[in-house]
Amino acid sequence: MKIVVCAKLAPDASDIEVRSDGSISLERAEWRIGSFDLQAIEAAVRLRDAHGGSVTALSVGPQRINHSKLRKDLLSRGPDELVLVAEDALNGADTAVTAQVLAAAVRKIGAVDLVLTGEGSADLYFQQVGLQLGELLAVPVFNAVSKIEVSDSQVRIERSLEEETEVLELPLPAVLAVTTDIHTPRLPNMKEILLAAKKPVYEWSLADLGLENTPEPRVEAVSLRAPRPVERKRILIEGSPEEAAQSLAGYLVKEGVV
Amino acid sequence: MTEDVFDAIIVGAGVAGSSAAYRLARAGLQVVLIERGPFPGSKNLSGGVLYGRVLHDLIPNFWESAPVERVITNQIVSFLTADSSVNLDFKTEAFNQPPYNGFTVLRARFDRWLAEQAEAAGVMLVPGIKVDGVVKRDGKVVGISADNEEMLAKVVIAADGANSFIAQQAGLRDKIPAGHAAVGVKEVIGLPREVIEERFHLNGNEGAAYNIVGFATRGVPGGGFLYTNQESLSVGLVIHLEALVERQLKPAEIFEDFLAHPMIAPLIKGGKLLEYGAHLVPEGGLKMMPPLAADGLLLVGDAAGFGVNNGFVVRGMDLAIGSAVAAAETIIEAQAADDFSAARLHSYPDRLEKSFVMQDMRTYARAVDFMKNDRLFEAYPTLLSNILADIYRQDAQPKKNLAPTLLKNLKTSKISLLDLLKDALAGGRAL
Amino acid sequence: MADDKDVWVFSEKPALQAELIAGAQQLTSHTGGQVMAVVLGARSQAEQALEQGAQRVLWLGELPSGRLVEDIVPTLAASVQDKRPFGVIIGATIRGRAVAGRLAARLGVAALADVLEFQWDDSALLARHMVFGGGAVRIDRPLAGPVIATTGQGIFEAGALQARPKGEIEPLSWVEPPWQAAVIERRSRAVSSVNLSAAKRVVCPGRGVARQEDLGLIEELAQALSAEMACTRPLAEGLGWLPRERYIGISGAMIKPDLYLGVGVSGQAQHTIGMSESRVVVAINKDRAAPLMTQSDYAVEGDLYQVVPALIRALKARKAK
Ligand SMILES: Cc1cc2nc3c(=O)[nH]c(=O)nc-3n(C[C@H](O)[C@H](O)[C@H](O)COP(=O)(O)OP(=O)(O)OC[C@H]3O[C@@H](n4cnc5c(N)ncnc54)[C@H](O)[C@@H]3O)c2cc1C
Ligand SMILES: Cc1cc2nc3c(=O)[nH]c(=O)nc-3n(C[C@H](O)[C@H](O)[C@H](O)COP(=O)(O)OP(=O)(O)OC[C@H]3O[C@@H](n4cnc5c(N)ncnc54)[C@H](O)[C@@H]3O)c2cc1C
Ligand SMILES: Nc1ncnc2c1ncn2[C@@H]1O[C@H](COP(=O)(O)O)[C@@H](O)[C@H]1O
Repeated sequence: MKIVVCAKLAPDASDIEVRSDGSISLERAEWRIGSFDLQAIEAAVRLRDAHGGSVTALSVGPQRINHSKLRKDLLSRGPDELVLVAEDALNGADTAVTAQVLAAAVRKIGAVDLVLTGEGSADLYFQQVGLQLGELLAVPVFNAVSKIEVSDSQVRIERSLEEETEVLELPLPAVLAVTTDIHTPRLPNMKEILLAAKKPVYEWSLADLGLENTPEPRVEAVSLRAPRPVERKRILIEGSPEEAAQSLAGYLVKEGVV
Repeated sequence: MTEDVFDAIIVGAGVAGSSAAYRLARAGLQVVLIERGPFPGSKNLSGGVLYGRVLHDLIPNFWESAPVERVITNQIVSFLTADSSVNLDFKTEAFNQPPYNGFTVLRARFDRWLAEQAEAAGVMLVPGIKVDGVVKRDGKVVGISADNEEMLAKVVIAADGANSFIAQQAGLRDKIPAGHAAVGVKEVIGLPREVIEERFHLNGNEGAAYNIVGFATRGVPGGGFLYTNQESLSVGLVIHLEALVERQLKPAEIFEDFLAHPMIAPLIKGGKLLEYGAHLVPEGGLKMMPPLAADGLLLVGDAAGFGVNNGFVVRGMDLAIGSAVAAAETIIEAQAADDFSAARLHSYPDRLEKSFVMQDMRTYARAVDFMKNDRLFEAYPTLLSNILADIYRQDAQPKKNLAPTLLKNLKTSKISLLDLLKDALAGGRAL
Repeated sequence: MADDKDVWVFSEKPALQAELIAGAQQLTSHTGGQVMAVVLGARSQAEQALEQGAQRVLWLGELPSGRLVEDIVPTLAASVQDKRPFGVIIGATIRGRAVAGRLAARLGVAALADVLEFQWDDSALLARHMVFGGGAVRIDRPLAGPVIATTGQGIFEAGALQARPKGEIEPLSWVEPPWQAAVIERRSRAVSSVNLSAAKRVVCPGRGVARQEDLGLIEELAQALSAEMACTRPLAEGLGWLPRERYIGISGAMIKPDLYLGVGVSGQAQHTIGMSESRVVVAINKDRAAPLMTQSDYAVEGDLYQVVPALIRALKARKAK
């Protein structure tokens, strides 16, 4: 079984610097694998381990995603190989552009049985790309997938919806966006990290994918700012638990909430 | 099943570990460098002045590609009392010429760069893995273990810093006793580049280093520092641990006072706290140095106790690099002779003896005791400040000559002339 | 009718549909078109949409058995291409997100996900949403139509029901999907169907609670305050101590209660974005530097295992008086 897992490499939200005018800078942010894409990688690797075949990790984005640390980090989590489409034209790509590039890359990889994506990317978390990708590939596509069982050319999935669990059967190939609790992602061990350095990495350009021009953006980001902080009273209550509890209870009464 | 046996495994990708790895890989050895942090430098802390000559020997003109912050051109020694300061300002063009005397660096970036150089030289870097212990066979260290996995090598280098768990596990040393340790606390405070250059009178990439004694540590032996980076300041204290415990003081409290001191406060004004950290500093000097080599294991950098901390300078990075290079060269010879016997590895201390590392350690051997002399931290700064106050105070009184002013102040201070002489002699030898 | 002015709404949840209609009205007040609801369900539901303020309903009838809501995508795509509305706002449920993403891909646009507000810049539509897990606010401008957007519950306020709506119900017929998934089973998850958005008081335990059995203590506090229990994401996902419906934040529920009390919650942006509009925010945490502590009205520094029992006693004592 040939599995492709899509993972976004993005700046870490906890490294956001807020400037005094409310604008934000990501210049110093560390780039990482999206924390919700790790589960997709884990799911892909487990399916391969159970059914044989291979896992190709796929990531698209600006040049800086092509970094030895990120490559190693992806590969040490178990995929057999990595495909990167790293061009600055893809910096800040919208979901439509991303999905189109991913679709072209999946087609070029060829003979893919299953594509997995995370629940949402670390920076946008729009939970969109997987669905768009499936539709572009014209194959069955579902989100919120919390269990995957593969048999021959079929796959049986469980979806965790708001109020119900749904079990579906679909033909392969398919694209599935998995939930964050499908599996706990592994921490790579020493041997896997050493092995990662030896796995193949393919760097494809947009031209290699047959995309002569970068796909037209469909959305333009007009501004990116820190959220306006809500003013709070910021009263710090210290002292013994009894004292603190008494004084808090007092405040709650005064606020009219108890 | 055949097991991979690497030529060397290095535990810890601080300056010591990466330097050793780099040197070994350049000589063609198969080296694995293991770091517990998510990337090298992520967990490291130091004041940040790198005396760079030894790194220049290892990586010529490293400053051209390394993320160095500023070239240290102004060295300032400050004596503080509770409300005054006396500064000795030393600026020389000589420091601003290649190969430069010192640079400020931010470890998170610098260590990462150094490890990348090692990786480019062929080192296999394994980040995010904490080494749990050494693997011994027949009394000889043959590898390391992490997460129930073993990895074997002809030799292991412990470059895991001041607490070196590896050296302890191998039985080479114990935990550092409080009497031989200081605690370093530090903040990185962000300020715009122009503000820094104006406030510290710097042109372009010039940098200033303040080494601060006296009230900085509320009289506890130790010192403070304030270094300029490109767009931030590194401000910190290194405080003797035992005295801290004796006087029941918390480092954080002393640090708060220090930052509020009338000399420091205006220098950091308007800055934004970017990082805070605390770290152990070995300061036993020669006295607490463990055996540096065992069968299959070498200690380098802070793990071996190489550090100089005398109130006027805090040094460790250059000694870490120097010791790492000596260890690497010992291993390169062993590899060439295909002899990793204990006897061969024990030539590492001899090699160190001949390098600047041990010479400096000896030179500064007395510094630690000299530093514990309370007069240095309380009486002298007060004395100096009182003398200068007398000289400069314009209170419509006729001014005395300098000599009586000195004598009067010396009398009211609690320092005897004999003490003064003794300290001058001891200090001259120790610093 | 191909004037690109109408705004359509679609949601599998009738309550959310009412809110989407309110949002669509904001848009049509600029575009000058009509608000139309695409309804998949009984005729009564189509009529309900008119009462909720839709001027027209495109009615598909009930979902044929064995079909999924998501199967509407080809039908929607064909109707949009045919009737050319200005845009479609889709309720951001899981199925709604699937519909939006697939529809957008078919129409060659990017869906605007989880929109918090629409704005107009002259004649251009702008949409505000959170990125970086609530760490930043981004304003996007769609460069191509139709506009496909999703919004969740609590973003737009549903208007009053109309007693005698005039709108028309126009039947819509299914376009066969190119592939279909077989539905093997549906299990309703034992969901307490809590409506956190409606709760006046919310007590929210976080990872500071060490063991699942200790939740009993927090429950007791919630009772003493007549509050609903919520939680942070790790408690619901990962630990699975509480149902997923109970976690607050960017990917969970958005709430605006009178009182939010976080117990052992650090206050990462992804969480606080879901509760920052609470009237009174209280935090109990042993770390006074925890972000939530500095973003609260009352911050109690202490061990929850001591403070919470004391608080329960204090509250009970007050009640007894
Ligand atoms: C506040 C302060 C100010 C200082 N100022 C200066 C100064 O201005 N100039 C100067 O030259 N020196 C200064 N020093 C001293 C200097 O920081 C140290 O001497 C230097 O960092 C030693 O380098 P090292 O590589 O031996 O150890 P470290 O830098 O401590 O590196 C050890 C590495 O090993 C890793 N590690 C530890 N245990 C394990 C394990 N079990 N498994 C895997 N990895 C592990 C750590 O994560 C770390 O990366 C200062 C120190 C302090 C605390
Ligand atoms: C894209 C994305 C989306 C996310 N969406 C959400 C979301 O919607 N909702 C959400 O909640 N999270 C979300 N998260 C996760 C979020 O980033 C945080 O990890 C999470 O909110 C932290 O939960 P916590 O505060 O319970 O745990 P922690 O961050 O571990 O905090 C525990 C706190 O308890 C305190 N504590 C510990 N012991 C005690 C004690 N005995 N007494 C008192 N205090 C104690 C600690 O000081 C600490 O502050 C998301 C993350 C990402 C990346
Ligand atoms: N640039 C990208 N490269 C690879 N995969 C991506 C990329 N962007 C998004 N994805 C995948 O699509 C999922 C949903 O992304 P999003 O719609 O941005 O929330 C992510 O969890 C990833 O698995």
